[in-house]
Amino acid sequence: MMKWLKLAFRNILRNRRRSFVTMVAIGVGFAAISLYYGYIHNVYNGLEIMAIRGEGLGNLRINRAGWQEKGKLEPEKYMFSGEDTQKIIKLVGEEKGVMLATPQIQVTGIVTNGKVSTVFIAQGVVPRDDRIIKGQWTQYFPVIGQRLSDDKRYGVEITKDLSKYLDLTPDKDGVVMAPTISGQMNALDIQINGVYDSGNDFSNDKFMRFNYYFAQSLLDTQSAERIVILLKKWEETEQMRTLLLKKLKAAGIGCEIRTWKELSMSFSKQKAFLDTMFMFIFSIVLVIVVMTTVNTMGMAILERTREIGTLRALGLKRKGVSVLFALEGAMLGFFGSLMGIVLHTCVWAIVKVYPPKYIPPGFSKPVSMYVDMVPLALVALLLSLVLLSMVAAIIPARRAARQNIVDALGHV
Amino acid sequence: MALIEMKNITKDYYLGETVVHALRGIDLQIDKKEFVAIWGPSGSGKTTLLNLISAIDEPTTGELAIAGKDVRSLTDNQKSEHRNKTIGFVFQGFNLVPVLSALENVMLPLQIRGVSATEARTQALSRLEEVGLSDLIHNRPAKMSGGQQQRVSIARALVNNPSLVIADEPTANLDSETARMIIEIMRELNEKDEITFIFSTHDQRLLDKVKRSVLLEDGKIVNGAAYT
Repeated sequence: MMKWLKLAFRNILRNRRRSFVTMVAIGVGFAAISLYYGYIHNVYNGLEIMAIRGEGLGNLRINRAGWQEKGKLEPEKYMFSGEDTQKIIKLVGEEKGVMLATPQIQVTGIVTNGKVSTVFIAQGVVPRDDRIIKGQWTQYFPVIGQRLSDDKRYGVEITKDLSKYLDLTPDKDGVVMAPTISGQMNALDIQINGVYDSGNDFSNDKFMRFNYYFAQSLLDTQSAERIVILLKKWEETEQMRTLLLKKLKAAGIGCEIRTWKELSMSFSKQKAFLDTMFMFIFSIVLVIVVMTTVNTMGMAILERTREIGTLRALGLKRKGVSVLFALEGAMLGFFGSLMGIVLHTCVWAIVKVYPPKYIPPGFSKPVSMYVDMVPLALVALLLSLVLLSMVAAIIPARRAARQNIVDALGHV
Repeated sequence: MALIEMKNITKDYYLGETVVHALRGIDLQIDKKEFVAIWGPSGSGKTTLLNLISAIDEPTTGELAIAGKDVRSLTDNQKSEHRNKTIGFVFQGFNLVPVLSALENVMLPLQIRGVSATEARTQALSRLEEVGLSDLIHNRPAKMSGGQQQRVSIARALVNNPSLVIADEPTANLDSETARMIIEIMRELNEKDEITFIFSTHDQRLLDKVKRSVLLEDGKIVNGAAYT
């Protein structure tokens, strides 16, 4: 095989300019795909952090079985009692991969400053647990004022647009009203601890965060709606779901567990959109690579018709001719992809040092655009383009191999 | 048994609706170790005849056996193997691969057969030495004269130890002195290695050196069909 590789390598050096232009086309195509992939890889990571930490979904959410379907109609029936909540937290907490299991409860109601009222959606969270879930998220979206406190249960956090609308800034008082679990209206005084940016335009004018026990008081219940789980290794989400479902079922707790991907408002839609864009760009580049390689190899075959005839006369089989040109195509793909990796690395380094900023749809403030370096993806793309160039070369090569030897030898 | 046996061979070419009768009933027998010239005016069918003998083309009708093998019954792959093992080619335009050195060009038929690089190199060096090109083994064709290229071409034709070498006008592109040298080399190899040489030519100097010449006119053998 080495002799044919050597021959293929020398053949691509015959018409250096043409080979170079082909490799540049492949390289630019490679970089277009790899940079876009690096970009969406970074975006997916960002969206994952936003969902798990920013939206506070954690990696997994445990609800009582049937909550998804009927929980809103009969909340008390589909919530966990205080006893069950403690039991679940203990069982889940035994798993080594679990960093945190914490109860949460959601409240929907009306918030007023005494003059103006509007609807709100609040998550009742355990403040010390919430700080663990949020992690470094609050560095990107800091709370103005104080955060939730375990001691000051009536202190709440409010989103920035809702705060602006009601003029409820830190240390100001208000009232929240919500129906209790049994259906009667309840109202409690609140004091604004802090104002935060949810990161999302759609939720910035209606979201609030309450102390878990305050939310239970408002709903007049000792139950928890859900247990949110944060894992040490996020990539173990699916395995942990399977494991916990078995374990909780064995303990006699009927529950349903959903992952953050299933719960996130935006992740799936944004991923589907970006994946579609990726496939679109990938398809265009593939067409360019195939057309360029077919054209280059077609020209090479035309110029070397007599040589093909000679090789066939000397005993090279048709398959051998195809293999020779396929190797040349593969080499064009390989060296073109290497150029692409160099181009990718240059752009990656520039973007890393001088990241451009932009506001994605639905976001509340600009974010930096980064491109991830994903070595495995680069290798996979290199192999794909090498294979594709090889296949693209085989198309004209098969035609060349089927030429009549006498005609090929007489070609001028 | 004759090395080549042709019975009532015809070959027609189709140029649009026009049929060109390149060969019209050829009966020819060539034995091992012969040094045969096929000659005749342009368009007489010399190259067509050589193409059929070398199994790169097929007759329209007739029987053709080379070393006892009915060439028409072979598959394309079998023909390729047959050419590689049995036949050496010397072309008028040398037909060397320009990106390969003299040595690599000569190694090529062996490597097509799958012989190891070391073995192919040893045999190729030996053949290049026979044609007097030991000093130019690393030169590429572009850096060699016509005569040198043709000698590389002869070394390449011989490297597989074929029983038959086919040469299509091997001296047509060479000056007198070089042509004389090429003829001498071919003649010596014929006598020393007992290889059968069949070549087409217009060259009277070459015709003077052969034991047998076959004259073709209008696709028919006019003279020399049988060895005398």
